[in-house]
Amino acid sequence: MSTLATIHGIVARDLRRATRQPSRLLGGIARPFVWLLLVAAGFNRIATVGADLTYQQFAYPGVLVMAVLFGGALTAISTVYDREFGMLRLMLASPAGPAVVLAGRTIAATAVGLLQGVIVLGAAPFVVHAGPGQLARALLALAAGALVSALLGLLVAARLRSVENFAGVINVLLFPLLFISGALYPTAHLPGPLGFVARVNPLTHFVELLRRTFGQPVEFSLATNVAALAAWAAAAFLLAALLFDPEQRFIGPARRGARG
Amino acid sequence: MSDPGAPAVEARGLGRDYGATRALDALDLVVPRGALVGLLGPNGAGKTTTMLLLATLLAPTRGAAALFGHDVVRARRAARRTLGLVFQEPSVDGVLTVRENLRFAARLAGLAGGAARDAVAAAIARMGLADRADQPGRALSGGWRRLVDIARATLHRPALLILDEPTVGLDPEHRARLWAFLDAERRAHGTTILFSTHYLAEAEPADRVLFLAHGRAVADGTPGTLVAPFGSAVLELDGPGAHAVADALAAEGLAREVVPTAAGCRVGLGGHRERALELAGRADGVTRAVVRAPTLEDAYFARTQAAPGRGAAA
Repeated sequence: MSTLATIHGIVARDLRRATRQPSRLLGGIARPFVWLLLVAAGFNRIATVGADLTYQQFAYPGVLVMAVLFGGALTAISTVYDREFGMLRLMLASPAGPAVVLAGRTIAATAVGLLQGVIVLGAAPFVVHAGPGQLARALLALAAGALVSALLGLLVAARLRSVENFAGVINVLLFPLLFISGALYPTAHLPGPLGFVARVNPLTHFVELLRRTFGQPVEFSLATNVAALAAWAAAAFLLAALLFDPEQRFIGPARRGARG
Repeated sequence: MSDPGAPAVEARGLGRDYGATRALDALDLVVPRGALVGLLGPNGAGKTTTMLLLATLLAPTRGAAALFGHDVVRARRAARRTLGLVFQEPSVDGVLTVRENLRFAARLAGLAGGAARDAVAAAIARMGLADRADQPGRALSGGWRRLVDIARATLHRPALLILDEPTVGLDPEHRARLWAFLDAERRAHGTTILFSTHYLAEAEPADRVLFLAHGRAVADGTPGTLVAPFGSAVLELDGPGAHAVADALAAEGLAREVVPTAAGCRVGLGGHRERALELAGRADGVTRAVVRAPTLEDAYFARTQAAPGRGAAA
């Protein structure tokens, strides 16, 4: 009961923080629409992606991934903010402990990522052929992708100590992951190491779940996509839980100072 | 398993290193239930490290500690249930209202539904926050933020409050309000309070005071016993001739303690105020000589300045 109360408290707080800073939400929604309406529309004339798809239709699942990824991962920024301003220390000293704090944070960031994805999904009838069944399946895919995106953000945020560092790492990490995922161009012909990164990249499997929903060509089986996302989610949660412990007691003592 | 007779805090040889730096050497500390205990010392003495160790936020490098019998390493969760924490910087979310901040704190403490609502309402009433309950945290002054912080730390009625410099940056009005609230909590609920402060007068009402310096406890006792070595009066001497007067007083057996200060020295007198003032009045190079009652500050400077330097980690 007390664990649920703690998770409830963390989720409610994070969602309040997200909704009371509308510029963050609007920015998260505007970015994919800029890609869809300005970049992808322009590429329609010069990009050939085959399978009777326009580039805009090809890029649409990738744009959905972009909305969810940045919504979920960037919501994790509140963890770094809380660490910088002392709130995380209070949360970690609560009876529930680090894993429960992480669970609450994950749920909140997943919800924000999903919300941004659903808003962009609203444009689906104007871009791709999407009936109610396809939209329902897309919703499930968005939820799975939002969970992994949130955990990736929390994994990065778990060790960072300033908001400025977080923004830098996210840009260096998230954009390459997005580019090597097949979200914006096919990755089947990428050379050796990049091809390997593309195959193990969780976003590749998130993109494929959405492509499959909209009847677009995919490289892996559904089971592989689902298993890859589940494995990433489990691994990211476990690692983030270890890193969230203020002393990282399972992986060696911290080397931090305390004043006074 | 909790021992109903266990003290609120029991630390044995508790220590912590940061790399090669020994932040806390080997602290022995027993705080009885319901006591008000002050940790005093200069910056870097090990006060915050002690509090973070007791709050389960740091793992000890050596030694052990328990809160109400719950080991802070092996029974962290049970130890945390006894705790209310206030750190140096107010932890109030500026985006949330005061009420929402407190509701968040209640849920962190494991309170749900009606219990959380009742605890928040009671905390708002106790701390006089009703007029500000629906203001966002960022709209509050530093003093009010600190009072919200105290309300947050106490709303689940913890058995032990750990307060790390809770009054830093507060004006006298908010400081008085905060201590009055804590005193009332202690009297009404038997709450144990372990606090640190740089305002030594705040430690005068404590049941016990521990002086830390360079990661070691250098004195431990009631304010009365710590001040006792200074005798019945302290002679404050300023000027280049201050130490010669102190030497003369010592030669006559009148100086019980001599503590150097930036401007001269302080001399604890075992009586004979008139003789001490007479010697100071006749001496060259004494710009000021004042006799006053001894305070905790005299004991603080005597014990922390005389402490040997910090050791290195093994």
